[in-house]
Amino acid sequence: MDSGDLYHVKQQFVLGAYKSLAGAPLPSPSSEDYNSILQYHARALISLGEADKALSILPAEDASLSLKAVRALAGYTKGDENETHLEQLRDLCVEVEDAEESEQQVVKVLAATAFVQEGEIEEALETLGAGTPHENLEATSLIVQIYLSINRVDLAKKEFERAKHWAEDDLLLQQIEATLGLVSGRDSYSNPQSFFAEQMLNPSLSSSHLLTSRGVTYLLRGELIEANSDFEEALKVDANAETLAAAVVAAGLTKGKQSESDALFERLQAEYPGHPLVLDLKSKSDAFDSALSQFTVPALA
Amino acid sequence: MQFLVKFESKSNRVKGLAFHPTRPLLAASLHNGNIQLWNYRMGVLVDRLDEHDGPVRGVNFHPSRPLLLTGGDDYKVKVWDIRPQSRRCMFTLHGHLDYVRTVQFHHEMPWIVSSSDDQTIRIWNSTSRNCIAILTGHSHYVMSAWFHPKEDLIVSASMDQTVRVWDISGLRRNTPNSAVGTFDTFDTFSTVKYVLEGHDRGVNFAIFHPTLPLIVSAADDRQIKLWRMSETKAWEVDSCRGHFNNVSSALFHPRHELIISAGEDKTVRVWDMGKRTAVQIFRREHDRFWVLAAHPDHTLYAAGHDNGLIVFKLERERPAFAIHMDNIYYIRDKYVRQHDLNTGNDVGVLSVRKLGNQYIPPRTLSFNPAERAVVVQTTSDNGIYDIARLGRETSNDLPDSSTDGKRGTANSVVWVARNRFAALNKATQIIEIRDLSNNIMKTFKSPVQANDIFYGGTSSVLIATSTNIVLFDVQQQKVLAELVTNPVKYVVWSPDSQTVALLSKHAITLANKTLTQSTSVHETIRIKSGAWDDSGVFLYSTLNHIKYCLPHGDKGVIKTLDEPVYLTRVKGKNVHCLDRSAKPRTIVIDPTEYRFKLALLNKNYDEVLRIIQTSNLVGQSIISYLQQKGFPEIALHFVQEKSVRFDLAIECGNLEVALETAAAIDKPECWNRLAQQALELGNHSVAEKAYQRTKDFDKLSFLYLATGSTDKLSKMQKIAESRGDPMSKFHNALYSGDVLGRISVLRECGLHPLAYLTASTNGLDDLAAEILEAAGLTDADLEDVQKFEQSTLRPPPIVTQTGKLNWPTIAGTENFFEKGLLNGNGHIEGDEGAPYVNGVDGGAALDEWAQEGAEDLEVEDEAWDLEAGADEEEFYVAEEEAVAEEEEAAAGAKPGPSETELWVRNSPFAADHVAAGSFDSAMQLLNRQVGVVNFEPLKPIFLAIYRSSHVYLSANASLPPLHLHLRRSITDSTPSKVLPVSYRTLPAVKAELQEGYRAVSAAKLADAETVFRSVLYSLLFVTVSSDEEAKEWRELITTAREYLLAVSLELERRRIVQEEPENVKRSLELAAYFTQCKLQPPHVTIALRSAILVFGKANNHAAAAKFARRLIEFNPDSKIVAKARQAISAGDRNPRNAVEIDFDEFTPFDICAASYTPIYQGTPSLTCPYTGATYQLMYKGHLDPLTKLTEIGAPSSGLPAPR
Repeated sequence: MDSGDLYHVKQQFVLGAYKSLAGAPLPSPSSEDYNSILQYHARALISLGEADKALSILPAEDASLSLKAVRALAGYTKGDENETHLEQLRDLCVEVEDAEESEQQVVKVLAATAFVQEGEIEEALETLGAGTPHENLEATSLIVQIYLSINRVDLAKKEFERAKHWAEDDLLLQQIEATLGLVSGRDSYSNPQSFFAEQMLNPSLSSSHLLTSRGVTYLLRGELIEANSDFEEALKVDANAETLAAAVVAAGLTKGKQSESDALFERLQAEYPGHPLVLDLKSKSDAFDSALSQFTVPALA
Repeated sequence: MQFLVKFESKSNRVKGLAFHPTRPLLAASLHNGNIQLWNYRMGVLVDRLDEHDGPVRGVNFHPSRPLLLTGGDDYKVKVWDIRPQSRRCMFTLHGHLDYVRTVQFHHEMPWIVSSSDDQTIRIWNSTSRNCIAILTGHSHYVMSAWFHPKEDLIVSASMDQTVRVWDISGLRRNTPNSAVGTFDTFDTFSTVKYVLEGHDRGVNFAIFHPTLPLIVSAADDRQIKLWRMSETKAWEVDSCRGHFNNVSSALFHPRHELIISAGEDKTVRVWDMGKRTAVQIFRREHDRFWVLAAHPDHTLYAAGHDNGLIVFKLERERPAFAIHMDNIYYIRDKYVRQHDLNTGNDVGVLSVRKLGNQYIPPRTLSFNPAERAVVVQTTSDNGIYDIARLGRETSNDLPDSSTDGKRGTANSVVWVARNRFAALNKATQIIEIRDLSNNIMKTFKSPVQANDIFYGGTSSVLIATSTNIVLFDVQQQKVLAELVTNPVKYVVWSPDSQTVALLSKHAITLANKTLTQSTSVHETIRIKSGAWDDSGVFLYSTLNHIKYCLPHGDKGVIKTLDEPVYLTRVKGKNVHCLDRSAKPRTIVIDPTEYRFKLALLNKNYDEVLRIIQTSNLVGQSIISYLQQKGFPEIALHFVQEKSVRFDLAIECGNLEVALETAAAIDKPECWNRLAQQALELGNHSVAEKAYQRTKDFDKLSFLYLATGSTDKLSKMQKIAESRGDPMSKFHNALYSGDVLGRISVLRECGLHPLAYLTASTNGLDDLAAEILEAAGLTDADLEDVQKFEQSTLRPPPIVTQTGKLNWPTIAGTENFFEKGLLNGNGHIEGDEGAPYVNGVDGGAALDEWAQEGAEDLEVEDEAWDLEAGADEEEFYVAEEEAVAEEEEAAAGAKPGPSETELWVRNSPFAADHVAAGSFDSAMQLLNRQVGVVNFEPLKPIFLAIYRSSHVYLSANASLPPLHLHLRRSITDSTPSKVLPVSYRTLPAVKAELQEGYRAVSAAKLADAETVFRSVLYSLLFVTVSSDEEAKEWRELITTAREYLLAVSLELERRRIVQEEPENVKRSLELAAYFTQCKLQPPHVTIALRSAILVFGKANNHAAAAKFARRLIEFNPDSKIVAKARQAISAGDRNPRNAVEIDFDEFTPFDICAASYTPIYQGTPSLTCPYTGATYQLMYKGHLDPLTKLTEIGAPSSGLPAPR
C-alpha cells in the first residue's frame, strides 16, 4: 500500500491536476517515497509542457532507471535530439527487464508515451505488453487510449476487462472506464458523467481538467448550457488549450454564440498553434480549397 | 459493265450448272460424269457425286428442300439428298431413251421436267416417282426444257430449229392416271401452245423472262433471238448477232434490260435488250462456253467451259456512299440521295445518270459538307468523275451532274480540303489538286505507285499501294508516315478523326491518325465495309457477318447475315447500313459483349460492373475470355456450374467461394487443392477445414504445430488415441512437447529402449527406472549403453499466435466488384444511362448476383453489430477471429473504422459528411441533390460544422488528446446508426428567419438580404428526420427565397432611383413586382404602401389605386387606411397611367430572379435546383444570383429521404 503522500500525488496525477501537483513542495529527499513522488512531479511538469523545469528538479546523476526514463522523456518532449532520447528509452526498456516490477512498469509507460508521440503505435503497444497478462495499470490506461485512438473499442474494452480482475477498484481503473465510455457512448455516457461528477466532489483536489472533462461529457450528451458553464468556469481558473478547444465547440453549437465560438477559436489559434484542433481545421480548410477545384463556377446570371 | 470474277475452278468440261437458292453453293455437272458441289464464297469443294455413267448435262437444286436433280447420258434422272450427314441418291427416274439434256424442279408442285435426245420432254411426279406426262412433238433432240416461273408453261428448244411453248395447265387440273405405260392418256394434259420458228440451225437453249412475257433463245445459227408472247400468240421480236460460233446459252438479267449469253466462240456477251446491241464482251483464250446459270436472287452468274467454271458478277454492288454527321449520301440507281439517319427522311439530291456507262454504277462518292458538293467517280470510260453541288432537298427538279457540274478524268477522287480535291490518274501516277470549278491548282507525281487515294486529314491524302499505305501532305508535298498493309480498299475514319480503319480484302488495320500505332485483324472471308461505334469500337461486315474489333485487336461476331450489307454508321445498338440494292437499312444489334470487353480493356470497372448488373451477359465464351484476360474473379460471377466455379475461385484466390463450392462438390482432390491454395494465401483456417474434411491427420497436426495451436494439437493427440494410431500419437506428442505422452506411446509399442532413453534424457529418472524394471533389467545391464546428454528438444516457442489470425490479404479488384455490388443497388440503379446494353432480362446469373449482394450485406451488418465496426474485408477476418478466441489481440492491431467513416457511411446528408470532414463527398452530395456548384461562400459553414462536431480530451499524461465525436442521438451507439450532432436545426433556422423579418420591417434591406441568404445556406445543412420536417424544410426554403427575391427587387429599385432617376418605368415595374412576392401580410402591406407612393408620384394613379384597394383588404390600421383611400380617390379622379409598364396583374407570373422581369404562366422557364427560383431560359448554366450557389437549370435529385 502506498503511503498517504504518494497516494495523494498519484491521485492528482491520474485526475490530471498537474498544476497543483507540480506546485506542491517535494518531500524531503530522505523520505522513502522521494523518488516516486519526484517522478510524478517531473511527469506532471512534462505534461504541462515544462520539460526544462522537470529536468531541473531531476537529479543529474540518475538514482534509478525510472528517473533516467523520466529524463529521457523530458528530453524527448523538449524536442531536441529526439532520436537519441528514443534510443535511450529503448535501451532502458531492455535494461529494466531485470529490475524490480514497479521500476519496470514506470519505464515502460514512459517509453511508450514517447513512442506514441513519435507515432510508433505498434512499438508502444508491444512495449506496454498489450495482449499479455501484465499487471501494470498505467500501461493498461495507455493501451486503452491507443486502441481507442485507432478506433478499436473492442480491443480497448478487452484490455480493460482484464485489468478489472486484478486492479480492483483503483481510481485509474475508473478513469479508464470513463474514457472508454466517452468514446463508445454506451448508455448515453452515463459512466463518465457520474465518474467526473463524483470526482468533482472530491474535496482533496481541484483540477480544471476535471471540470473540462465533465463539460466535455455534458457536451457529448448534448447538454450545451451545462457544458458552456463548465467551460466558462474552467477558463476562469486556467485557460488551457484543452478547455479552450472544448469551449469553441460548445459555443459553436449554442444558438447565438457562434461569434463567441469564433473568438475563442482565434484565441486558441493564437495561443496554442500546435493544438490538434487548430492543425486539423487548417488541413480541412486546405482540403476544402482543393475540393473546390472539382467544380467550375459558371458566370453569374 | 464489268466482269468481276468471284470464283473460278479448274476441272473437266462443265456441262451443267445450278445455284443453290439460299446457300452459297454451286452444283456443276461434268463431262466425266462427276457432279461437284462448290461453296463459291469460301472457294472450297463441298462434295462430289458420281453415280452417273457418262457425261451429266442437267443439274438443278430444289427451291426449298435439300435436293439435287441431275440428268445424264445414261438416260437417267437422279434425285439426291444433299444434306452432308445423309448424302445419297434418293431415287432414279427411268424412262428416257436417250441422253438427258436438262432437268428442273417445279417451283411449287412436286414436278420435275426433263428434256432428252429421245425427242421428248417428260414430267415426273417426284413424290410418286412416276412419269406423269410425256410431251412429244419435237422432231429432233430436245436441248432444253424449262418451267415458266409462274404460269403452267414450259419452253423447250430443239435441234429441229424450233422453240416450243407447252401448256401444262391440264396437268394441274386433273390428277392423271399414274399407271405406267398408258401413254395415250398423257396427250390430253399437254398441248403445244406455240411453235416458234426463226432459227435456221438447231436451238440450244430457250428460257422465259422472270417477269415479262418474253423468251430468249440461243442457237447454232450464232444468233440469240428474243420472242414475245401474248395470250394468244407468240412472235419473234429481234435477233442479237455477234457471236461467231454456236451460242450455247442465253439468260435474261433479272433487273436490267440485258441479256447475257455464252458460246463456243469463247465469249460471254452482254446485250442491250432494247437496242439488241452488244454492251460488253468478255473473251477467254481457250475455253468454249457450254452453259450459263443465274442465281435466283443475287446478281451472280456462273459459266461452264471446257476447263472448268467461272462465277462472276457484272456490276459492283457496293453502293458509293459518304457520311456526314447523321446524313448518309449514297447513290442508288444513279441518283445521289441524302438519307437522314434520325428521321429516316430520304431524298434524291443529284442525278448522275449521265456519268459514264448507263449500267455501271459510280464507284465512289466524296462529300464536301462546307460546299455541299460531291465528287462522284466511276470506272466507266477508263475513269471519269463529276463534281457538282447537291440540290436543295425541297426543290423539285434535281440538278444533273453532267449539266450542273464539271467533269474530269481520274481513277480516284477525294476531297482534301473545303475547296480542294485530289484526283489520281493511275496510268500516269499524277495527282492533281483541283478547286471547286475543277481548275487545276497543283499537279505532282505520286511519291509511290498509287492504286487508290483516300482522305487523310485536311490537305492530306492516304495513298494506297499494293504493299503499304502512305500518308502524304499535299501542301508540303511530303510523306508524313507509312504503314505496311495489304492493299487497302477502303478507309474509314472514326468520328473524332483520331483513328482510322484501313480495310483490305481480308484484313483490317486500325491505326491512329499519324499511322504510328496500329493493330490488325485478319479474316478468311471477304471484308465488305466498316464503321466506328461511338465508343471507339470498329464494327465491320464480311460476306456473312457483322463483327467487332476492339482497339487492341480482339474481335468477335455480333450477328450473322443472310446477305452482305455495307455499314455506314453505328449509333448505339443501331447499325445503319446499305444493302446490295443500295437501300438504307437499320440493323439492331446487341453491343453488350463488345462494350463489356471494351470496358474491361479500358479498366473502366464501373462500366463493367454496370453491364454485369444490368445486362444478361452469359456464356462460355465470356467466361473463357475473362479467364484468359486475367479476370477470373469476374468470371466467377457468371458461373454456376460447381466445378468450374471452384476452379475459378481457386484461380482468383477467392477462398470463401472456393470453400463453399468445395463443400458442395466434396471430393478429396478439391479439398486438397483448396488446402494448398489456402496455405499459399496464408489462410490456415480454410486449410484446416480442408484437411479435416479429407481426414488428413498428419497434415493437420503439422499445421497446428506450424500455427502454434497447442490446444488443438492436444485434441489431435486424443483423436490419435481413439484412432489407435501409435505413429500419429507419437507425432502429436512430439509436436506438443508432451514427453510423458511420447514415453507412454513408446512403451505401449514395446519400444522400451527408446522409452527409457526418452525418459532419462528428459530428466524423468523415476519413470526411467520404472521402465527399466518393467523391461526386467537393472542399471547394471546398461553400463555399456552410451550415455546421452539431457534432451534439449522442445517444441518451438510460439512467437506469434498465428493460429488465432489469418494473414490479411490485399484487397484486389475483386473487392472493387464486391463493393460495387454492395452499393450497387443504390447508386447504379439510379444511374439510368446504361447505354446500349441488353436489358435486364432477369437472367439467372443476375438473380444470383443480386442474392450474393444481399448476403454480403447481411454479413457486414452482423459484423457491425457484434463489433465496434469494421471497414475492410480483411478486417472482418481479424475481428471475427478476435471474437472467436477469448484472447487478446496482438500489438499489431489494425485500426478500425473511425467514427467519421461511420458517419459518412450512415448518412446521405451533406451536413453529416461535412461534420465527418469528408468535404469532398459532401460537395458531391450537394451538387447532386441541389445543384450547388459554387462552394466558396459555404466554406465558413463547412469549417464551423466540422469544428463543432469533434472535441478533444486528454486522458493520459503527455499523450495526444483523444478525439471525441459529438453524436446526434446519445442513445444510439451502434456503429451502423451513429450520426454526427446537428449543427443547424429547423428551429434554429426559423429563429434566424425571424431575424430576417425584423430586418425587413425595419427597412434594413441589405441586412435582410444577408440574413435570408444565410438562412438558405443554413438550410442546406439541416438534416430532416421525418416527412413533416422535410415538408417544413421545403417551406422554409420557399419562404426564404421569396423574401430574398423581394428584398433584391427593392434593393434594385432603390439603386435605380439613385443612379438612374430618369428610368421611372423600371422603378415602377420593380415596385409592382415587389407586391407580387409571397410574403407575410405585414410585409406585403409594406410593399403595397411603397408601390402606392411610387406610382402616385409617377402619376400612375390608376395603378396606385389598384394597389391601395389591395392594401385595404389587409385591414391595416386606420392611418394607413386613410392614406389608401386618398390614393383610391386620386385614382378615381384621374384614372390613367402616365407611364406604361410591363406588368400584367391578371396573368399569374413568376419573377425572373436574374433579370427581374416577369415570366408569365405558360412561358418556358428554368429553375434553381435548390430554391426553385424561376429564371428566363437564357440564363441556363449560369450561377444563380439569389443564393450564388447553384447552377440554373442543373438537374438535381433533391433532398434524400428523411432518416
